Amino acid sequence: MRAFGAVFVARYQQFIRDRAALFFSFAFPIIFILLFGWAFQNMGTQTFKVGLADEGSPLTTTYITIGLNSVVLEGDVKMFKTEPGDLDDLRAKLEKGDLDAVIEIPAGMDTLAARGASDNVQVYYDASQTVNQQMLIPALSQVISAIDQQIARYTPPIGMNPQSVQSHQLRYIDFLLPGILGMTLMFIGVQGGLPVIQQRQAHIIKRLGSTPLRRSTLVMGDLLFRMIVILASAALIILVGRLVFDVQMVGNWLSLCGIILLGSLVFVSLGYLIAALVKTQESALPVVQIVNLPMMILSGTFFSVASMPAFIEPLIKILPLTYVNDALRQIMVSGTPLHSMTTDIAVLAAWAVACLAITIRFFKWD
Amino acid sequence: MGVSASKVIEVTNLAKSYGTIKAVDGISFEVAQGEVFGMLGPNGAGKTTTIEIVEGLRTADGGSATVLGMDVSKHTRAVKERIGVQSQSPALFPGLKVREMIKFFRRLYKKSVPTSHIIELASLQESQNVLFRNLSGGQQQRLSVALAFVSDPDIIFLDEPTTGLDPQARRAMWEVIETFQRAGKTVVLTTHYMEEAQRLCDRIAIMDYGKIIALDSPQRLIESNIKESAIQFKMNEYPGDQVITGLPDVSKVIREGDDIIVYTNNIPSAISGLLGMASQRSAELSELSVRQATLEDVFLKMTGKRIRD
Repeated sequence: MRAFGAVFVARYQQFIRDRAALFFSFAFPIIFILLFGWAFQNMGTQTFKVGLADEGSPLTTTYITIGLNSVVLEGDVKMFKTEPGDLDDLRAKLEKGDLDAVIEIPAGMDTLAARGASDNVQVYYDASQTVNQQMLIPALSQVISAIDQQIARYTPPIGMNPQSVQSHQLRYIDFLLPGILGMTLMFIGVQGGLPVIQQRQAHIIKRLGSTPLRRSTLVMGDLLFRMIVILASAALIILVGRLVFDVQMVGNWLSLCGIILLGSLVFVSLGYLIAALVKTQESALPVVQIVNLPMMILSGTFFSVASMPAFIEPLIKILPLTYVNDALRQIMVSGTPLHSMTTDIAVLAAWAVACLAITIRFFKWD
Repeated sequence: MGVSASKVIEVTNLAKSYGTIKAVDGISFEVAQGEVFGMLGPNGAGKTTTIEIVEGLRTADGGSATVLGMDVSKHTRAVKERIGVQSQSPALFPGLKVREMIKFFRRLYKKSVPTSHIIELASLQESQNVLFRNLSGGQQQRLSVALAFVSDPDIIFLDEPTTGLDPQARRAMWEVIETFQRAGKTVVLTTHYMEEAQRLCDRIAIMDYGKIIALDSPQRLIESNIKESAIQFKMNEYPGDQVITGLPDVSKVIREGDDIIVYTNNIPSAISGLLGMASQRSAELSELSVRQATLEDVFLKMTGKRIRD
């Protein structure tokens, strides 16, 4: 226990003197939140023009029209202005920029529930208007899934409570903050492999090997300290988000903590995995970048994964940050309970187990 | 040291290979309590590997190492509680202050000496709140050695403890080691400095290619290996080994870079032979000196290498 305390205190003393580590753990995420939060502050009240092309399902079209019109922003402004019309005409307007999106409702949608079948409405939008899509597509899909649920329960969707949709009104900062949180867990976790490599390279681990200090104590002391740094950073990010931008937190706080811990475990393991496979700090630095940067960009930190080109999708689907971001966002924005995100949890658990298994197999102490 | 003193280290047929290289090739030796035991050898001779096995840092492929009556491979942690180790490079946390580093190491052991005592041993009273990375090389080295004493150990292992120290600090370190020895404790030491080995060590093991090729007190190592005196000089044009050994009273010649070392039992006769040979060939002798054989000569003779190479 004394030795455990010694390792913990030594990690703390070194950490508070390591400006780079402090910056990436605390200042970096806060700067991101403030910059993006202020830059896109007014986007929450932006409205969208959506064309509705009824290809033979008038009932569903009506439901969607009512659903979209019921989304009300601050100041009683409707988020969507709907425009019915012919698909080709509407798409031409979309290309000219007169519309933000066009929804094609195919024939046969009205009888889907009765037939027990399912089908998708087709949404057309300008993928180059990336920032708009951050709000437009998630908001559209929320409305449509709300209608979907109503239909599935055989309840007339006309009775839908507009307030419930309004409370899920998504501003960019609400979308962004869970992403920044996930990204920071990744940065702190993966970079944690670097001091391990440095200590091994400088023969410090070997020097400690000549003392009675157990290696397990060394690892546990290190791990506990890093988990505390991660949790402190996460708490700071959420606090700043809530205080400065009143960021949404619809879900359960315990679930959020659970996902933060699971995500941290994955990225800390990934850091150890790098320490197991890479010998020198010089070569580890680029490896850390190669791991971090694609995830930061592709895994839905700043842009919705849905707005990524289809050919990268297989890559996006194996990156752990994709699932951390998705889980954090579902809890904070939609209030999804943990038992409804088993895919996220299973993929993350698999990543943690795989990383730890490979680390144990290949890690060398000197 | 008398043979009657109790043995604190017993190494029997110790072997360790890395691939096809036999780093330690079946060596045996004993160290008595209160002894300063030196290990000399060229780099790669197997000294560090041997010491690291005895410290419990590495496992041997064969043979056994017993420290303070305990088999190191079985009672590794119990052994580590009672030994102090200084490693070749001052491998310590760059981001800790001197005082914090000592406190860290104290917490790793069941018993430890006061922090101030270690600061004094390292002569770092003025720098106790300086970060390790901001210490000079010599200060880092001194802290690294002083930390070997942190657990009040029965045996300390010092791997080149005075490398990188100035002569004054080196002498201070010798006094620390001698004080430790006077308290009845045991020291195992590797060094590149012959003067240091000759002054500190009760016995010396010379290692080469994983084997101990000689083990005795410094004085007896010299007496039994080299009975001659050494004449050392430079020559602008080397005539070849055969010419020099052909001179009267020259028993052996060794070339060390520019230096030529001639061993002889008859100094005047050998010198006059050398001078005659030089004038005959119109060559010039310079920097000529005559000295008693030293440990360095023993080492050179046995390994064919200079100790610092």
